[in-house]
Amino acid sequence: MNRRFLMATAALAGLGVAAIAVPLAAQDLPPLAQKDRYKVGFAQMESNNPWRIAETKSFHDTAEECGWDLIATDAAGSAAKQVADVDSMIAQGIDVLFLPPREEKPLIPAVMKAKAAGIPTFLVDRSVDPNVAQAGRDYVAFLGSDFVDQGRRVAEWTLENFDGEKGIIVELEGTTGSSPANDRKKGFDDVMAQHDNMEIVASQSGDFARDLGRQVMETLLQAHPDVNIVYAHNDEMAIGAIQALELAGRKPGEDILVVSIDGTRDALQAIIDGKMGVTVESSPFFGPLACETMKRYAAGETIEPWVQVSDRIFTKENAADHIDEAY
Amino acid sequence: MTTPLLQMTGIDKAFAGVAALTSASLTIEPGEIHAVIGQNGAGKSTLIKILTGVYRRDAGLIMFAGKPSTISSPREAQDSGISTIYQELTLVPLRSVTENVTLGYEPRIWGGIIDWPRAHARTREILARFGIEIDVRAPLGSYSTAIQQLVAIARAVSLDARLVIMDEPTSSLDDREVEVLFGVVRGLKASGVSVLYVSHFLDELFRICDSVTVMRDGRTVARKAIAETTKLELIADMLGRDIDEIRADGMTELGGGQRDRSGEVLLEAKAAATDRRLHRLDLIVHRGEIVGLAGLLGSGRTEAARAVFGLDRLQKGSVSFKGQAPSDPASAIAAGIGYLTEDRKAEGIVPEMSVRENVTLAVLPKLSRGGRIERGRERALVEAFIKSLGIKTANMDQPIRELSGGNQQKALLARWLATEPELLILDEPTRGVDVGAKLEIQAIIRDYVARGFGVLLISSEFEELVEGADRITVMQDGYSVTELQNPGITENALVKAIAHHHRGQAPA
Amino acid sequence: MSTRLESASPATASPATARALRQLRRHGGLVALLVLVLVNIAITPNFLQLQTLFVNISQVATIAIVAIGMTLVIATGGIDLSVGAVMALAGALAPLIFLSPFGVAYPALGLVAAFTLPLLAAMACGLFNGFMVSVLRVQPIIATLILFISGRGIAQVLTNGNLQTFSNPSFSYLGTGRILGLPFQGWLALALAGLVYWLVTRTLFGRYLLAIGGNERAARLSGVPVRRVKFGAYVICAGLAGIAGLIVVAINSASDAGRNGNLMELDAIAAAVVGGALLQGGRAPIFGAVLGAVIIQLVKYTLLANGVEDEVALIAKAFIIVVAVYLQAGRRE
Repeated sequence: MNRRFLMATAALAGLGVAAIAVPLAAQDLPPLAQKDRYKVGFAQMESNNPWRIAETKSFHDTAEECGWDLIATDAAGSAAKQVADVDSMIAQGIDVLFLPPREEKPLIPAVMKAKAAGIPTFLVDRSVDPNVAQAGRDYVAFLGSDFVDQGRRVAEWTLENFDGEKGIIVELEGTTGSSPANDRKKGFDDVMAQHDNMEIVASQSGDFARDLGRQVMETLLQAHPDVNIVYAHNDEMAIGAIQALELAGRKPGEDILVVSIDGTRDALQAIIDGKMGVTVESSPFFGPLACETMKRYAAGETIEPWVQVSDRIFTKENAADHIDEAY
Repeated sequence: MTTPLLQMTGIDKAFAGVAALTSASLTIEPGEIHAVIGQNGAGKSTLIKILTGVYRRDAGLIMFAGKPSTISSPREAQDSGISTIYQELTLVPLRSVTENVTLGYEPRIWGGIIDWPRAHARTREILARFGIEIDVRAPLGSYSTAIQQLVAIARAVSLDARLVIMDEPTSSLDDREVEVLFGVVRGLKASGVSVLYVSHFLDELFRICDSVTVMRDGRTVARKAIAETTKLELIADMLGRDIDEIRADGMTELGGGQRDRSGEVLLEAKAAATDRRLHRLDLIVHRGEIVGLAGLLGSGRTEAARAVFGLDRLQKGSVSFKGQAPSDPASAIAAGIGYLTEDRKAEGIVPEMSVRENVTLAVLPKLSRGGRIERGRERALVEAFIKSLGIKTANMDQPIRELSGGNQQKALLARWLATEPELLILDEPTRGVDVGAKLEIQAIIRDYVARGFGVLLISSEFEELVEGADRITVMQDGYSVTELQNPGITENALVKAIAHHHRGQAPA
Repeated sequence: MSTRLESASPATASPATARALRQLRRHGGLVALLVLVLVNIAITPNFLQLQTLFVNISQVATIAIVAIGMTLVIATGGIDLSVGAVMALAGALAPLIFLSPFGVAYPALGLVAAFTLPLLAAMACGLFNGFMVSVLRVQPIIATLILFISGRGIAQVLTNGNLQTFSNPSFSYLGTGRILGLPFQGWLALALAGLVYWLVTRTLFGRYLLAIGGNERAARLSGVPVRRVKFGAYVICAGLAGIAGLIVVAINSASDAGRNGNLMELDAIAAAVVGGALLQGGRAPIFGAVLGAVIIQLVKYTLLANGVEDEVALIAKAFIIVVAVYLQAGRRE
């Protein structure tokens, strides 16, 4: 009985404090003091592909030079766990949070909680639902690529370099509900919609993963054997698609054009081998940019809502030059 | 003559075509302590379940407190004033005493929230009436079974019961606790509450009950005032014996008392006890003889069989079979003991398997080589048994659950005979079996024994024991109390032996 | 005052309908398969090509293999939730072995080790499960939950959470090889099904397994070594899951410890149940489980090939399971 009473009181107290704390919290962005060393939290969403691994590594590499005590977690693909990771970082008293949100909506509570706790948040490589949380008000800024633009550039390259009459396109989408997937689809589809000779016959999710991308590709190939363009939202799925195509006896690069986004080493190799046509870079090396932006904010600068990363584009012409620095 | 509190007349109930109750009846006066007795399958529990709404009767009339009863669920029974205390206590050991007593009927305030202080006070008050003073906030499971049982009764009483049904209330109580219980029951009677008392401890009935209903084979065969009858008379009614008549002709094929019993000792149990209600077993079985184990329900016969077969661990004493002590079924089978269990549905047949697979289950290692079962040998073995035991089946691959009870029993018997045992323990081998199959099974047993093996026969059918066994050991409450020798045993004598040493008298 | 007789079976329809229903129940699986194939021929483009068969076999083989093992465990009245984690573990170990210095120095030996050591590790997981269930008497669903939660974590620790990619054609044959134009793993699945079928129907172990599931008390009383047989069931199940894990890695030339075998336990249970296994034990329809896996795969394929989102496919899978279980329930009486 006693224990129950104590727990109930504690719970009520906690709720009460939270209830009071929220309205008392600044309606504005929490500031960042200038210090020599910062306690920095980086809540990665998963590490099962080279891009993510490179991104995490980039943060670790920058930590020392930028004077960070870095706390890095990995949510292993679970949005719920990512929210929990942010909670525990807040409890550990971080000064600033860098967050690549796995999905647009589920991570909004995490952003809000950090704000309420007085911790400035920078969203990295993916964003949250703009109708609910906004840069400059709920989080400092979004550091990332323009996903819509990436999709658009792929589409344009495809239009220039496709040498058939009619384009039958199979699209492999990224994780349903994630901002890169939504935006890369939009960028590409909008361009293709304006060209009558381009038709997207199938568009299914491969969850940004190689194995699933492969399975989805081999199924769609059966349903649409006349496909001649494959657009994958990331390189892992594109590699999977290439595996599926080769297993089916097709020749990616010769009778099917494979285009994608990310710029991984495997993709560059595939371009050199002639199996892939183009990959638009989506740089994972956020460490230095994060450091620079954070310092600017601490110095009192107003940060633009979108700190854009400029992405390169890799094709047969330049793939061999850049493969060594690729991740 | 007051109106009876409860009047059940002409109750019929059948399950899947088999009659469980035929024109059964029960009458209880207000403020009366009324017992219901009967052997396994007599219909007591079915009748009570109909009364409390668990089952629906097929025919008959139930009048409770002067009005026809429309009870169709246990909750409705509770609300009408009929409380049941089951043998397996249906309380929640992890919750407090108060929660158990007030479960479902907690006092509330503000239209929903439970008023715990009032609940605790009420519980304490109720328990005080029974002379029990305990911490009502402690979990129920932290108290002894006796206390738990009394709490169950307290719950029943607190719900304004007019009829309290007690199912084997004293089975886990010691003598002192029984006295407390009896005090409570008498208290109930004094306050006008009737008690329906189900128990097979006849001595108790004579101490506490006013009247008794005897049931047999789904019928009510007698309703008597306790003061006007005797234990012997009640047992005779339960078992369907006319106590003045001695049956001349036997109804069995077992041919007891006619065998040469000079064989060596196969099995010897000395003061054996297990933690499963077997308190003291003294038993000897020789080659070539049938030893019967007799006793009423709960006397420990099955527990004795389990101890011999190595299923339960001995806490005291010893069991020796051909010089060895079996420690588990596999070693018992290897040593040469077979055990045909009482409940063929729960412990006998594997319902999804075929007749063939069931028959060979205990003897598979002998039919296999290198882990592979040799189909040819298996089929030959099963074929032989189907023929010699007369198992009626479409073919040996028919699922065993499609066979009649008698043929299932024969198949199980085949399973054990296939292991070529030297001692066969048979627990109710002819129960639930039609007459024809019954005689056939008995003939099989007789032939088996004639080949020089031993049989330990547990049966509730007195004629089976009296006619078939060479010696009968009588058991009561986990003790082997006496031994009768054939030739010369009569059913009368057996009944007397069972009735005589009853609970309350210390066995030798 | 009489009331109606209670009876267990519902009101009987005409004899002809009753007979038709009974036949449907007994061969429900095959009927469903036929219906699916016909529907696909009608609406899915290019369904009747050899390549389609190839793709479907390639995708179903792993589920079928795990389902076979799951059927064995279900037949004892248990369940194994850890199969997905075991797949991840086995899959993570293989590249670690043949990419290690030892594996590079002795490629042939390394390859053999890369096949056997992960399988041994998988069977060790089965031993753990068997121990929890048989010796410690933990309920199977809880016992196997332990590895379900921790197994994948162990695999991820071994690989530092990284995706391991490699190029090793000999190893990848497991997933990409072809025999008679059809995927190697399909033939492997069939061979394993045949082997386990033989085990269940012809051996002592199989008979004991079914007896334990059918009536454990009766089995024990008949001298059946219940403990040992249960151990065996869990070890075989885990071993088969290990094989499936290796196949997934081989086919992708990549080991993703976080994703390998994800949700496989549910697919395997679904396939086993659709194939006729009873969750209370006593039946081990091995080829039924394969059939169940094929049916579920075909539904997935149909939906995907016709442009339906894969969220809908999950609902369809659930619907099939409900129907299958309903038909099974009728069979019990």
